[in-house]
Amino acid sequence: MLSIKNLHANIEGKEILKGINLEVNAGEVHAIMGPNGSGKSSLASVLAGRENYEVTEGEVWLDGKNVLDMKPEERAREGIFLAFQYPVEIPGVSNINFLRTALSEIRTHRNLPQLTAKEFLKMTKEKQQLVEFEAKLANRSLNQGFSGGEKKRNEVFQLAMLEPKLSILDETDSGLDIDALRIVSNGINKLRSPENAFVLITHYQRLLEYIVPDFVHVLYNGQIVRSGTKELALELEEKGYDWLKELHDAESIHK
Amino acid sequence: MGILNQFTTPLYDQLITSFENTAVPANDDLTALRSNAFDLFRSKGFPTTKDEDWKFTSLTPFLAEDYGFSSSDIAAEELQAIVNEALIPGLDEWSLVVLNGIIRAELSVLPDAALVTVQPLTKISNTAVLNDYLKISAEDQNAMVALNTALFNDGYFIEVNKDVVLDKPIHIIQIYTADDNALLQQRNLVVVNPHAKAELVETSVVVQEAGLLFVNSVSHLVVKENAQLVQYKIQNNDTSERLVHYNHVTQERSSRYDNFTFSLPGAALIRNNIDVILNGSATETHLLGLYLVGDHQLTDNHTAIHHKFPHCESNEIYKGVLLNNGKAVFNGKVFVERAAQKTNAFQQNNNLLLSDKAQVFAKPQLEIFADDVKCSHGCTVGQFDPESLFYLRSRGISEESARKLLVEAFMFDVTQRIENEALKDYVQALIYGKMENSFAEETV
Repeated sequence: MLSIKNLHANIEGKEILKGINLEVNAGEVHAIMGPNGSGKSSLASVLAGRENYEVTEGEVWLDGKNVLDMKPEERAREGIFLAFQYPVEIPGVSNINFLRTALSEIRTHRNLPQLTAKEFLKMTKEKQQLVEFEAKLANRSLNQGFSGGEKKRNEVFQLAMLEPKLSILDETDSGLDIDALRIVSNGINKLRSPENAFVLITHYQRLLEYIVPDFVHVLYNGQIVRSGTKELALELEEKGYDWLKELHDAESIHK
Repeated sequence: MGILNQFTTPLYDQLITSFENTAVPANDDLTALRSNAFDLFRSKGFPTTKDEDWKFTSLTPFLAEDYGFSSSDIAAEELQAIVNEALIPGLDEWSLVVLNGIIRAELSVLPDAALVTVQPLTKISNTAVLNDYLKISAEDQNAMVALNTALFNDGYFIEVNKDVVLDKPIHIIQIYTADDNALLQQRNLVVVNPHAKAELVETSVVVQEAGLLFVNSVSHLVVKENAQLVQYKIQNNDTSERLVHYNHVTQERSSRYDNFTFSLPGAALIRNNIDVILNGSATETHLLGLYLVGDHQLTDNHTAIHHKFPHCESNEIYKGVLLNNGKAVFNGKVFVERAAQKTNAFQQNNNLLLSDKAQVFAKPQLEIFADDVKCSHGCTVGQFDPESLFYLRSRGISEESARKLLVEAFMFDVTQRIENEALKDYVQALIYGKMENSFAEETV
């Protein structure tokens, strides 16, 4: 589904991603872990098309389509969804109007019929239940007045509404208490299917107790320095990132 | 230079000649008031950028042409068609049709005369009620108001009787026609008597084959004790128009006045002035404005609220969206006199610059002489928040729709305050229609 080949990217002239290679197939869940500043969030931003990043080398393909040629909205319509680490509050844009506009433009792109107002409301209600997101959406501005946890849950709710192929969750677990984490994880587990895939970016192993990944990758200094199965996360939890850093830095010297 | 400037404007000379030739010698009060006002205009001339209140708005480019002072007529059927077109869809309204300052009663649908008096302003010439307001403005040393006082042709007089609560808004449809460049001046007076309540909606239409139209109009609005007046002004004009408007409001004890001014892209020049004089305690005043400025247009809003008595509340929100080479000026004055303790005055002006060629000059001005008051003001000039734009786009929303959503959001503080739903829909549709055109032009 997603194929990242030798991806290099800069921000403000500084190289942040230094040759990322990653293959994600339908039905898989990948976790990307790594210390602060390793480039995890940058990878998510580059995939979603954030404009202040400059891709200097490499390719990204989504089901045979060149992602790097697409605008952010085209990526979303093709099925890439980024759950933001810091969801934005937009006073004056209503949650409902926002969702309806997004869904309508995505459905147009995917050649799906538009939903009637009634169908839309029904879907909203169902998906809210599915991800256990009880916050009142009507007559409220986008993310305004939401707690940190509610904002993160709103991201997962939007994910449920927009039904992407590939979801990238950028530290969705950070700042959540254990109950909220359980609810968010339940929601994501319910949304998993053989047709879609998830990339979980996280700092903590904790999330992976609830959402069990097929693969775990460790990002360090703009590169994936180690890949493995869920046991790798446990090993990281035990030993911390320092042993990997040392290992990697030593290898770099030998090269 | 100031002295020289006024003589270099051909219109100034034309006005001097015109006034001297047309002034009929008479001994009535109006003639005396007009003559005094004209002397004031003669000595001051048109305002220049040397006047503090006109620092950012130069009239010079708008006065370069020759203007005539006569309007033209229009066939009855055509007039009827224009009126039909001007009605606001879905709005249950009374209508007052005014052609070049003259009331056209046969085309108007007005409430019962027992409730509201509607008359040509000239019908109340030389009455104390009118002369009082003509006098106030002459003292004001305001050259444009003085010019209007000297030469206004007519206008409307609306008086809402005591205790009358009007069931629907009165829509004032201003129609202007002229065969060539014309300077038209109109004077209006609205009195809302004690415990009465009224809503006015004002729109305008220009029917002109060629030439420019300069409208210099003045309205007085009097909101008496415990009365309420809501005034909506929708400025959806043509590029041939130049508008200077003075709205002079006096509020008496426990009254409420709401003003909504919507300036859409169109007229080459819009200069709105709102002066609110609070002549009693426990009043409430709301000034809400939206201005969208595009092309090479200039929209200037000057407001002043004079707090003179205790326990009054004023609230002002003006929001502007600047496109292309648009230029906007905002000056909001709030005066709190020593006696006006427990005043609550809030003012906010926000501007969204959507073009690197657009300009905004914003000047909030608070002068407070009382010590037990709550006053605040805030002013911002900014662009789209890139993070918000990216967030919306990352959900599949096109850049164009995302910008539209953000502009709607920006204006929301003001649009949500329109209580009449049909009017709200109408104004929003006008704004979004104009925005879409402007966005389309920009991307071309």
